[in-house]
Amino acid sequence: MFRKFYLLYGFLTLGTAAFGQYRGWSLDTINQLKNVPKSVRDNPGSYRSVYSGYHHYTGGK
Amino acid sequence: MSAGTPPLPEPPKPQAKALNCPKCGAAIALRCFGQAETVVCGSCHSILDAKDPNLAILQQFEAATRDDKPLIPLGTRGKLRGTDYEVIGFQRRHSKVEGISYYWHEYLLFNPYKGFRYLSEYNGHWNDISVCKQLPMAEASSANYLGEIYKHFQTSDANTDFVLGEFPWQVRVGEHAVVTDFIHPPRVLSSEKLDKEVTWSIGEYMYGREIWDAFKLPDRPPEATGVYENQPSSVTTNLTSIWIAFAAFAIFLLAFMAGFDLLSKKDPVLHETYQLNRANAKNEASFVTDVFELTGHTSNVQVKTYAPVSNHWVYFNYALINQDTGQAWDFGREVSYYYGYDSDGSWNEGKQKDTIVIPSVPSGHYYLRIEPEADPSLPGIPYTVDVTRDVPVFEIYGIAFVALLLPVLFISWRAYTFERSRWSESDHAPTPILQTQSSEDDS
Repeated sequence: MFRKFYLLYGFLTLGTAAFGQYRGWSLDTINQLKNVPKSVRDNPGSYRSVYSGYHHYTGGK
Repeated sequence: MSAGTPPLPEPPKPQAKALNCPKCGAAIALRCFGQAETVVCGSCHSILDAKDPNLAILQQFEAATRDDKPLIPLGTRGKLRGTDYEVIGFQRRHSKVEGISYYWHEYLLFNPYKGFRYLSEYNGHWNDISVCKQLPMAEASSANYLGEIYKHFQTSDANTDFVLGEFPWQVRVGEHAVVTDFIHPPRVLSSEKLDKEVTWSIGEYMYGREIWDAFKLPDRPPEATGVYENQPSSVTTNLTSIWIAFAAFAIFLLAFMAGFDLLSKKDPVLHETYQLNRANAKNEASFVTDVFELTGHTSNVQVKTYAPVSNHWVYFNYALINQDTGQAWDFGREVSYYYGYDSDGSWNEGKQKDTIVIPSVPSGHYYLRIEPEADPSLPGIPYTVDVTRDVPVFEIYGIAFVALLLPVLFISWRAYTFERSRWSESDHAPTPILQTQSSEDDS
């Protein structure tokens, strides 16, 4: 019973991995936005990233 | 009229022979005719000589306080593995290990054409037992029967302390035998030494519900507790094949990894070097790159940033924007690298380059909006941005590998604990884990 389940599970896992690779899945977190105005190309300052104001690490031990 | 051979007449149905107990006068039914050596009165529990026409009393025992009701009543008929049997005898036996008595029950089954066989029951675990047709080859640690190797499990004394019904041997309460069990789940090979006589029997594990179905017994069988010596485990049985399946999947995964690495386009679509200059800090820092085309099916996009920072940081607010649809992927990346020397020696942290993979980006015309920020103490620095279409992501294979491995580890642990429980009741009990750890701590 478990062997059949594992075989099915294994093929599904392989299939998912292959599909994910084909579709270009990634583990990185990216924020998606829609309908960014075309004016950004002419006036880049009109767009503000959601990551602006990030607290930067200043390094050092 | 049918021209075929007339059906064979059915064998005559066995009739029980009615007698009376010489001690209490209760009626006694003999079911296995001349094959019974002893019969036990169901009323006063006197053990009688079934060969004697006067049923001479062989033994009397005080069973009233130790009366044990059989789960399968004597006289019950049922079909076991395709053969009709009647329950004609019942005995309770026990063995004492380290001062603790372990009780089990044995039922004697009879079919006038097939002979005798036994059912044993211990804590809800059942075994279908018959006498061996060949003499096994036994050593101290194992036995070979019909080409199958059985491992020694336990040697113990078995004492009979309650009997009921008929038996094809001279049964006695207080009878003492040495029983040695060898196992090859779901089978158990047992030798029973009584005086100078050794009897070998082979048993196969059965579930209570199978017995209940066979004898059409009411209610439900008692719940099995613990792991019995020859109890089969689907987990243990399939473990090797599951590990083989895992190995096959891992090889497939490696093949996928190599295949996708070869097939990935890894198409460089942008390679530019820019200069971050703090002298222009009052001006708008953000700018856009030239438009580049992402081709092919929906796939990922890799953005690599390199900046030769040294004890500084640079931060980039990125947006990959589809010129046609207005869809954007917004992300921020930091490039920082620090190093130094302290009482522990030299140290460093961070990197001068950063890589990110944007998932599932459709084909189209895109540009990057880049808004760099930098450490205020950094006067200026060049940096390079590389954009590549369709790169392999090896983490996916890592996750798939772990996903394939986890169920196998889980089932291996289940099999290990099951076998550990089984063998903990044997003469070869594994060392308790806690005891092993404390011994290691002591040393």
